[in-house]
Amino acid sequence: MNGTRTTIHFLSILIMLVWSAVLLYFYTSGRVNAYLPPDGIFRDMVLIAGIGMGIVALFNLFTTQAENAACCDHDHGHDHNHDHDHKEDCGHDHSHDHKDCGHDHSHDHADVECGHDHGHKDEGSCGHDHDHKHDHAHDHGHAHTHEHGHGILEESAWPGRIAAMLMLVAPLTWAAFKTPDRYSANAVVNKGLYIPNYEDRTNADKFGLRQDKPATAAKVDRAAPVPTPMPATAIPPPEQFSKAENVAKASPPPPDKAQSYGSFTLEDLKKQVPQSKEGNFILEVPEIYYTGGDLEVQKVITGQFVETTAQVLPEKVNNDNGHRLRVFRLMVQCCAADARPYSIPVDFGKKAPDFKEMSWVKVIGKMTYKKEGDQVVPIIEATKIEETTAPADAMIY
Amino acid sequence: MFFAALPEPSRIGDVLMAFLSIVFEGAPYILVGTVLSGLIAAFLDSRMLDKVLPKNGVLSTFVAGVLGLVFPVCECAVVPVIKRLVQKGLPVSCAVTYMLAAPIMNPIVAISTLTAFKEFQKVTGWETIGNATMTISRLSLGYAVAVIVGLIVLRFRPDQILKKSVLDGIAKVGADGQHAPAPKSSFNAKLVHAMRAAMGDFLDTTMYFTIGVIITSVFNTQVDQSILNDVAGNEWLALPAIMGLAVVLSLCSTSDAFIVAPMAVFSMAAKLAFLVFGPMMDIKLLFMYSGVFKRRVVIALLIGLFILIGCLSEPWMMMIQQLATK
Repeated sequence: MNGTRTTIHFLSILIMLVWSAVLLYFYTSGRVNAYLPPDGIFRDMVLIAGIGMGIVALFNLFTTQAENAACCDHDHGHDHNHDHDHKEDCGHDHSHDHKDCGHDHSHDHADVECGHDHGHKDEGSCGHDHDHKHDHAHDHGHAHTHEHGHGILEESAWPGRIAAMLMLVAPLTWAAFKTPDRYSANAVVNKGLYIPNYEDRTNADKFGLRQDKPATAAKVDRAAPVPTPMPATAIPPPEQFSKAENVAKASPPPPDKAQSYGSFTLEDLKKQVPQSKEGNFILEVPEIYYTGGDLEVQKVITGQFVETTAQVLPEKVNNDNGHRLRVFRLMVQCCAADARPYSIPVDFGKKAPDFKEMSWVKVIGKMTYKKEGDQVVPIIEATKIEETTAPADAMIY
Repeated sequence: MFFAALPEPSRIGDVLMAFLSIVFEGAPYILVGTVLSGLIAAFLDSRMLDKVLPKNGVLSTFVAGVLGLVFPVCECAVVPVIKRLVQKGLPVSCAVTYMLAAPIMNPIVAISTLTAFKEFQKVTGWETIGNATMTISRLSLGYAVAVIVGLIVLRFRPDQILKKSVLDGIAKVGADGQHAPAPKSSFNAKLVHAMRAAMGDFLDTTMYFTIGVIITSVFNTQVDQSILNDVAGNEWLALPAIMGLAVVLSLCSTSDAFIVAPMAVFSMAAKLAFLVFGPMMDIKLLFMYSGVFKRRVVIALLIGLFILIGCLSEPWMMMIQQLATK
């Protein structure tokens, strides 16, 4: 290998190790939890890829010299044809593109440049003799493209190479050092904080308060500690719930409007939702969010005291008197880039207290529902709000 | 935890956060794809492809569209893989069809689409399989579009489609008219070759990926997403808007269904367009494609796919909805 190629080889390895290190660091420090959901294999893939990148890089580091020997060994005792075949396999192009004189020339040139190194290798490891002189030249052409016949790093001139390397390293390392692991208020607003659609049913299965959800639906992890543990085994749904779907089907209401999904009683709510010592139902914001689309649940939960832990931002809609704040949780499907805020207003009935934007709060209050605009909005009429610490998983997955 | 030492959230921090999360999601699959492509480069006998694929170019294009069911890959992994396959003698038309179809026509994507659109519950047996409307439409339209594009590519010579550096790597046809036979070098030499090719491909692909992800993260965090709601209601703008969204969001085809399913403002046909167009064309792919194809081919692909899918998704959705059992 000549100087340039060796440099690129080692720089490639270095870049690969940087990627490996970033992935492994974020996995082992647990910070990856702020970026990827726990279900599926997203997080594990980061570990696997980090190890994989390290293996590929180190393999290439330790075999830096191996190739010349391998090619040399290989060419020995083989005829010209074989040599030709071998070149093909390397996916390399230039050296046997006979029509292309320009390339041939450049290769000759490369051969001259590298002749020493290569010859040296031959003498040392392959016992090469004079008869192989011709092969040798071919072989070298091969070795050349073999290592460097692909990639921007090999094909460009130095300015292009440096730009490519910077693009590979700079954004990743900058992000790795400077990421806050959480979004600012600006991103949350851009992601749709103030345009909730409470009657949407898309993720309602996951957050609905009914038991007649499919057994496979993952139960949401609650951020707040659960004082009254859930029963170890799921309670079988009451008889009428198994037919709830039929009831709904019998009179199909217009889609995306708050509608009835069969009966729901306070008993059901108590079975489904843990309560605090004071008897407040401990709910996550998305769970409250989705009650906006379910009339039966609304009837039961209206006037009940609920408790939720969430992040807080100023309210910008229906808040002329400044009595409200907006609390939200971010929900992630596949990675933090697709986080979406689920938000509800909190009404204080008087001037809302000031909180630093995005701080975590525990809100206790009475549930109420108001028709605002064209949808029914779930509102917590707060009796108590206090700053609290962020839960282990800032996002809901 | 590290929170004490972490920088305060900021606009830049939002971009970095989105950037890292997409990198963490996508980079592992790029590694899988490039290691695979390195192994193909070193170990695959190019005569194998000749044996497996039908001789007829049209027929083999149709076959290439379903290979994703056997070799499932998402769109980040497929680009380096098809580059190597082309160099091993796979016809460019087949490669393009496989590249476009595999990220959609694949079991993982089928399952994630079924899950996201809650179609598992609707399908209770073979009689009700037609109820999986979105999944069926997505896979079938993805296949159809990929084959159509492949058949168009069939009319062109490889040197009109591929970048010179890729073209140069195509295994030369020997004197007997056959592609080059497999290398006979030792396993170790091949492995060295495979790993070097993998590293080169990884850095290549990742560079384009990085550029795409930066643009995507800026859009994702700095632009108010509610502008979409304003256009979603307009029947003329909804389709272009959601397809434009697919381009700028650059989601992985294994997870995009979860993102689009909750967008209640868009029609099923619009969501179908998103789910077929997104895996075939987005910002990161635009850059990754430009590492393999000539620039004007990439632009033609962008415009052609946009028009083709934009026109087909509405009638396609209506057609598939006929299958649903009432």
